[in-house]
Amino acid sequence: MLETTTIGSFPKPDYIKKARGQFARGEISREALKELEKKATEEVIRTQEKLGLDILVDGEIYRGDMTTYFAELMEGLEISGLVRSYGNRYYRKPVVSGPVKRRGPMTVDWFLYAQGLTKKPVKGMFTGPYTMTDWSFNEHYPTRRDLVLDFAHQLHEEALDLEKAGAQYIQIDEPAISTRPDEIDLAIEGLQIVTEGLRAKTITHICYGDFEKVYPRILDLPVDQIALEMSNSGYDLLRLIEKHPFTKELGLGALDVHSHVIETKEKVKEGIKQALEVIPPERIVVNPDCGLKTRTPEEAIEKLKVMVEAVGEVRAELN
Amino acid sequence: MITTVIGNYPKIPNRPRPAKLRNAITRFDSGEITLKDLKGVEDEVTLEVIEEQIDAGVELITDGMIRWEDGQTYLARGIQGFSINGLIRYFDTNTYYRQPVVEGDLEWVGPITARDYEFAQKGSKSPVKAVLTGPYTLALLSKDEHYRDRKRLVMALAKSLSKEAKALEERGVPWIQIDEPALLLNKEDFPLVLEAIGEITQDLQVKSALFLYYDDIEGLYPQILQLPVDLIGLDFVMGEKNFEILRKAPFTKSLGFGIIDARNTKRETVEEIVEKIGKIREIVPLDRIHVSPNCGLEFLPREVAYEKLVLMVKGVNKAKEVYHA
Repeated sequence: MLETTTIGSFPKPDYIKKARGQFARGEISREALKELEKKATEEVIRTQEKLGLDILVDGEIYRGDMTTYFAELMEGLEISGLVRSYGNRYYRKPVVSGPVKRRGPMTVDWFLYAQGLTKKPVKGMFTGPYTMTDWSFNEHYPTRRDLVLDFAHQLHEEALDLEKAGAQYIQIDEPAISTRPDEIDLAIEGLQIVTEGLRAKTITHICYGDFEKVYPRILDLPVDQIALEMSNSGYDLLRLIEKHPFTKELGLGALDVHSHVIETKEKVKEGIKQALEVIPPERIVVNPDCGLKTRTPEEAIEKLKVMVEAVGEVRAELN
Repeated sequence: MITTVIGNYPKIPNRPRPAKLRNAITRFDSGEITLKDLKGVEDEVTLEVIEEQIDAGVELITDGMIRWEDGQTYLARGIQGFSINGLIRYFDTNTYYRQPVVEGDLEWVGPITARDYEFAQKGSKSPVKAVLTGPYTLALLSKDEHYRDRKRLVMALAKSLSKEAKALEERGVPWIQIDEPALLLNKEDFPLVLEAIGEITQDLQVKSALFLYYDDIEGLYPQILQLPVDLIGLDFVMGEKNFEILRKAPFTKSLGFGIIDARNTKRETVEEIVEKIGKIREIVPLDRIHVSPNCGLEFLPREVAYEKLVLMVKGVNKAKEVYHA
């Protein structure tokens, strides 16, 4: 009960940032970059083991961005240029210029590499069809639905490949789902295609949005667990859950990933206890609000340490 | 018929051009440069984007809102009574802003954007308009922990913004544009918006504009013509229905004709632009039209934004020829 995990991304160490720059300027080869990414991925695995997290991630060190990475590997997509998402953060936003198609597995090698380094389970993960659509410019498909469904069929193949490679958990990130309440049906339709027939435990992660408008409808998302941002909004969402029971496993976001401030153990415990008032401990997994890539490596470790300790104490109290 | 833009312009270009502002903010955050150095880069980039807009042929420009982290916090930081909270999504976009929190009585304590206007106008051969996020939109996108009453909050913001508008007018700004996209989320609040905009424009002599984007104005027409402004700007990309809606009653003001899609890279063609102008010409005389993108250009990569402005100007010039305007 109260297993601990993270959402996916870890901060890139300085040597990776430097190497990515060098690769972009043609100063080092793809192979050289990949060697460093492997080294950093191993460090991320060791960090998680040391912290005592229960379910691990590969850290997404090899991804520049959660849509761009897939856009660069798929047919029908190009990169338009840098677009700002907030503050001083930019991403290379993809453009859909033709039919989208997977050329081959996109995350399986990294999953196998990461899982080969540890006995703990590592989640297989990729960005979902709704978010891929919402975070790309669409110059090709007549409607958003056409594009979501095409992405969904391609990503279903990725899910099958991850399962074949041994992934016990498959996480499909859909942070964009809370953007347009009127498109929740489309998001559900897309995920239905992606998760069709999977035996692995399925998870989706959604962040930053107006949950009042999509709750409880998000409980119809065809996955076993939904990981949600909670601490950033003062656990407001729990009030909605009080009114309408959360019928799935909850990935409880208990660390604000956009703040430099390290949470206190008391604050994290308080959040978990609030959640326990409305959901039994067997159905709660504790994680940060979102990916940790925007924090420094030190901040990420400090925050996670607090989280793991807080969970340990709550578990002890429950026993 | 003139060409204009709505507000923000992409802050950094793509390679090989350097991302000056992004680099400067990173260096400022890590303590390598001073606030004064950072302000210097903001000025430099502002002049660059002014140049780019003029070079594209846009007639009424903005300063690109390079200093604005987003549409809300830049104003909120300048008004007493606000604090700034965590990140939250901006409308239905993949961009985020830090949510302003109303913690006490709101009070305008001095010009927020007036110096920016003066700087931009000094550096521009073309007229520069000032853009303010409207009181209703600011209220809706903030968290109210003080007034706990939407009307009181909106009117308090309107009072502060009216002082800001006055400060801009004193410095000679030719146009003051107020953006109220949030009205389209809650159309039933139109009477409140009407009162709030009146509070801002009642003592102004300068030309004023109100922009409504990200949707059509179904249900608000012809009432919006009561708004005490000279120009009303509408979104004809996400609100294509506006063409039909405006046919219901004579449009008595100038029209901001937002037809260039600032949220998608797909380029408009000159023919499409000419055709749309032909369509609006049946409803509003062309000498009362400002052609523009449907919203700020910062959703696009810098080069695409520029290219779209060039196409817009070409389309408008062609339309002038075709329709002898």
